[in-house]
Amino acid sequence: MGNLRQPVYLEEKLEQVRESGRLNIRSKALPTWCPGCGYFSIVDGVTMAINQLQINQKDVTVVSGIGCASRFPFFLDTYGFHTLHGRTLPVATGIKVANDDLTVLAIGGDGDAFAIGGAHIPHAARRNVDITYMVFDNGIYGLTKGQTSPTSVLGFTTSTSPYQNQDRPLNPLLMMLSYDASWIGQSYAGDPRHLSEMITQAIAHRGFSYLHILSPCVTFDKTSKTYSNLKAQVRNLPDDHDSSDRMAAIGYSMDVDTPPIGLFYKESRPTLSDKLDLIVDKARGRNARASG
Amino acid sequence: MIDSAMTETDIQLMFCGSAGDGTIAVGDIFKRAMAEAGFKVLAFDIYPPEIRGFGKCISRVRVTSRQAYSLKHQSDILVSLNDSYAIPHVSEVRDFGGVLYDQAPISAMAEGEHISGHLQPGQLPYGVSMREVSDQTTGGSKAKNIVALGFLAGLYDMQREPFHQIIRDKFKHKDPIISESNLLAFDTAYDEGVSTFRLDFIELGTPERQDIGSKVQMMTGNAAVVRGCLDAGLETFFGYPITPATSIMEDLATDLPMRGGRLLQTEDEISAIAATIGAGYAGARAATATSGPGLALMVEMLGLGVMAEVPSVIFCSQRGGPSTGMPTKTEQSDLHLAVFGGAGDAQRIVLAPTNVEGAYKCAGKAFEMAERYQTPVIVLLDLYLSNRYETVILPRQNPFEADSSKKRSHQERGVPYHRFSFTDDNVSPRTVPGEEGGIHTVTGLEHNELGRPNDQPDMHLKMSEKRHNKLLGALDHPGITIQKRFGDEGKVDVGILGWGSTFGEILEAMLVAQDEGISCSAMKVVMLSPLPLQPVQEFFSDCREILIPELNYEGQFANLVGSAISKPFTRLNRVPGVPMRVADILDEIRRLAAQVKSAA
Repeated sequence: MGNLRQPVYLEEKLEQVRESGRLNIRSKALPTWCPGCGYFSIVDGVTMAINQLQINQKDVTVVSGIGCASRFPFFLDTYGFHTLHGRTLPVATGIKVANDDLTVLAIGGDGDAFAIGGAHIPHAARRNVDITYMVFDNGIYGLTKGQTSPTSVLGFTTSTSPYQNQDRPLNPLLMMLSYDASWIGQSYAGDPRHLSEMITQAIAHRGFSYLHILSPCVTFDKTSKTYSNLKAQVRNLPDDHDSSDRMAAIGYSMDVDTPPIGLFYKESRPTLSDKLDLIVDKARGRNARASG
Repeated sequence: MIDSAMTETDIQLMFCGSAGDGTIAVGDIFKRAMAEAGFKVLAFDIYPPEIRGFGKCISRVRVTSRQAYSLKHQSDILVSLNDSYAIPHVSEVRDFGGVLYDQAPISAMAEGEHISGHLQPGQLPYGVSMREVSDQTTGGSKAKNIVALGFLAGLYDMQREPFHQIIRDKFKHKDPIISESNLLAFDTAYDEGVSTFRLDFIELGTPERQDIGSKVQMMTGNAAVVRGCLDAGLETFFGYPITPATSIMEDLATDLPMRGGRLLQTEDEISAIAATIGAGYAGARAATATSGPGLALMVEMLGLGVMAEVPSVIFCSQRGGPSTGMPTKTEQSDLHLAVFGGAGDAQRIVLAPTNVEGAYKCAGKAFEMAERYQTPVIVLLDLYLSNRYETVILPRQNPFEADSSKKRSHQERGVPYHRFSFTDDNVSPRTVPGEEGGIHTVTGLEHNELGRPNDQPDMHLKMSEKRHNKLLGALDHPGITIQKRFGDEGKVDVGILGWGSTFGEILEAMLVAQDEGISCSAMKVVMLSPLPLQPVQEFFSDCREILIPELNYEGQFANLVGSAISKPFTRLNRVPGVPMRVADILDEIRRLAAQVKSAA
């Protein structure tokens, strides 16, 4: 019986959390999400990551679109921009182009990202804008009270698919791997420890990081991506997965029945700002030659 | 001596040819040489939308001693580089004007295909051996256009030196032999021109060189926008190519990085405006440029800019619409979209310059206003203004404020920050990411002073008032003319109210009408939103009849003015895809003046 864990009392836990300082990163606003929503653990993961990376709150800007996930910036005490449906990435790109010193987090749901915002993703990825893009994927439109999304599974019944969804869902990780994102990972809202670790890595990566977060909608999805289903399906990427091996990552990304979580792919290459700086150097060089 | 000093220059040349004839190029050399010689120039080219093929190109250049406001309907000289294209334009040459053509173009040319057979009585034929001289001097026929130019310059006794300089400049990146042979072609033709008997009475005169502490330059409206952006300290630009705005992005792509600025070609217009607003939120001077179809895609984001009170500058060069419309034709039909486009009550600032110098001013001032009033500012141009060349006088001193934003006072820094605090002038002090103690979230949702979502009726009303009333400050923004009256003062018979590039034609028509003894004046309105209602109302009460000419079918500016003023007025709407005819405006002025007289 010696390996029984010591009990942790709530007050002690609270003290620990307070001491960590990460509560300061939360705003006073009360989240609008339903009790049990996976997004609460994502807020926690983000505050832990900012805390761990010792980034000053004034230097963090959280950009979001429209949807349940996109309410995110209001619940953090950082700079925030709650934008339009689908336009998270171009706004975030503008912010980063204007000020390299900012840590820019882009946040949206599966509809915001892959339906209305789909056209922006490949370009943010290929340009390697140094931002962290987190998509909270629950496979449903929650804020409008339960309609089909581009990642809803086949046969899913919603108010807009009363005769079941007939369209195959998108595979976001496979898309990201072909779009040339320089950091691609997946995590699960039901595993806060893994989640905060992945968020920390994603923010620390210099370049465009894409973190896909599987997260249940406890209100409008009772059958498909529930905690119990996801818990049974999700597995860790094998320890020996080489994150520089894109082909292997593509293989894992296609396993949608038992989605692997962890770091799929990572590469180091110049960011958009690096390239814009290079253009300034080239322009000034040409200018110097022309006037010289 | 006295006579020659008083000679007022006013000539207009029209070069017409096929794509590949160097039509636009020779027009360009001519206008640059004239500007170099010290004349005022106004020029506008028309070319086909297709890149390859045999489209018709026309370059019109008006050269004057005092700045002209528009092109003339009739040219003094037509230079034909392709007879089949030029023949329909013979009627646009004035009586006793000249037509310059190749007298021996190609051996096999059917009778009737040669332009010489199409001249009207009174028009003067100048047959030149274009191909022959080009062959002799350059070993090919490509320099036909230079030969025509040389002949013309000789005929009218223009100074050679400015032409030499521009030709050398034009070919400076090529083999020196090309420059030399083109100069030889020019000079050979010049000598031929000098020895040719001149039949008409054009006197070019000598321009007066003014030194008024400013720099005279020749540029297009789009180039002026670029200069305005750079002088105003533009830091970031995001754009998507679209005719006729593309050259703004192209020029900035070269020039902005030289000043350390950043330019990004985005995946569409939605991302262009989104990134512009993102950069504006982050505190940079940011802009994008587009045309009507692009602005249509941008209006949702414009609404966000209004709601979140983020500065941004949008240049929109109008073309024929709706939809893809007429990409290479001019029109003024995006006023409704610029002023009203979007969801909700989303008032923004809209500036419409009337000429190239105005484009420079509005471009720079747009950044000041966007920052000062925390709003999107649209600068509405059109293809005619974007592409036409004018000699402009730009101030040597940069006339634009480097930072116009309202910042927190010292005391305000100590207290919790309210991004949307209610203030006397309805503008809240703004912080940007990275700033200590200024953390906030902005949103497209209705919000309270903190920026938190709030849809209570009293809050929505107060915030709506704030967003609208703060823009009234722009009506008194320093250093920009937002409306101006020209012509006769006081009570007049006919008043012409105009906006945008058409105001040049309006002024020309007004000047002629004044010469004819008609009591008239013209008012330009540069700020379309918020509308400077009081001076417009005063103008209405001063004029017995009001005429509103514009290049659109619906009378969009007339609708805007008419919604605020109950007095009747006359609309003049044209949609030819080219600038309005001065004669059309003049006819209408005369008709209205006669109406006033007969009523009296």
